[in-house]
Amino acid sequence: MATTTATLTLNSADMMDNAVSISNTATLTKAGNNTGVTETTGLSRKKTSTGSNEILLNTDAGAGSDVTAQKSAKVYIKNINDRGDGTKFVTILLEDTEIGKLYGGDFMFIPWDATSSGKDIEYTVSDTTETVLEYVCFFE
Amino acid sequence: MATTTASITLSSSDLLTDNLSLSSTMNLYKDSTTATGLDEFRMERLEIPIDDYGGGTAKQYDLIPNSAAAVDKPNWVYIANKNTDDTHYVVISIKDDVIGRLYAGDWLWMPWSCDLNAAMGSAVELQAFVATATIEYALFHDGETLTESADS
Repeated sequence: MATTTATLTLNSADMMDNAVSISNTATLTKAGNNTGVTETTGLSRKKTSTGSNEILLNTDAGAGSDVTAQKSAKVYIKNINDRGDGTKFVTILLEDTEIGKLYGGDFMFIPWDATSSGKDIEYTVSDTTETVLEYVCFFE
Repeated sequence: MATTTASITLSSSDLLTDNLSLSSTMNLYKDSTTATGLDEFRMERLEIPIDDYGGGTAKQYDLIPNSAAAVDKPNWVYIANKNTDDTHYVVISIKDDVIGRLYAGDWLWMPWSCDLNAAMGSAVELQAFVATATIEYALFHDGETLTESADS
């Protein structure tokens, strides 16, 4: 059994009158028990500049094809580009449903329903600027 | 202007043959800016029942409802399942599309696009399974439409 942890820290000293400080560590386990996940896509990079919808993680291929029941899968995605002028972004979708936008330097970490009844994780860049995404999926 | 940072560390010494150690830090900025930070925020701790407050029918709840003031602006969502029983989980969705399950101890961090025109809206929804779920969530945003008082 492997032990993989994900820690998120959210800090702001000046958003409110008192400091905001949130920290949480999750151990990535298999669904419904405390056994650590043992599989990963490894850290990967994808480069795009097409401006059209592309699949990042497919429920019917790669990690998704290994997940045939409701199991555990966690996904990290980061837009590696610089923030630039603050107007260029990558839209992250569950097929045709938009989750949100990652501007240069932004990251996200979400659970993923990788079964065939789930949705592919897709992305669309806001223009034809070459954009690099870094991502990894941990799964069982 | 506020400065808010989010940092993530992913690590494992035994998942692969070599250590996995990934860290990243980002600033939370307003739309189309390079230095102006988000300056609005709310955080709650909630108990999510597995049925309709005793009515017996499993329900999805809007954790973060649509808000006209949030459209086309950056919104960042943190959700943590604070239960401790490994079998307890919540399903997180955007309208009818399931993102995934947060089991006890899990958390997520994601951007959120509020879209009032999407069919059924784009609210961040949540449903608890197995047992009542204790949830902590935070929303960092750049505007939220307030509900006008009935007696205003």
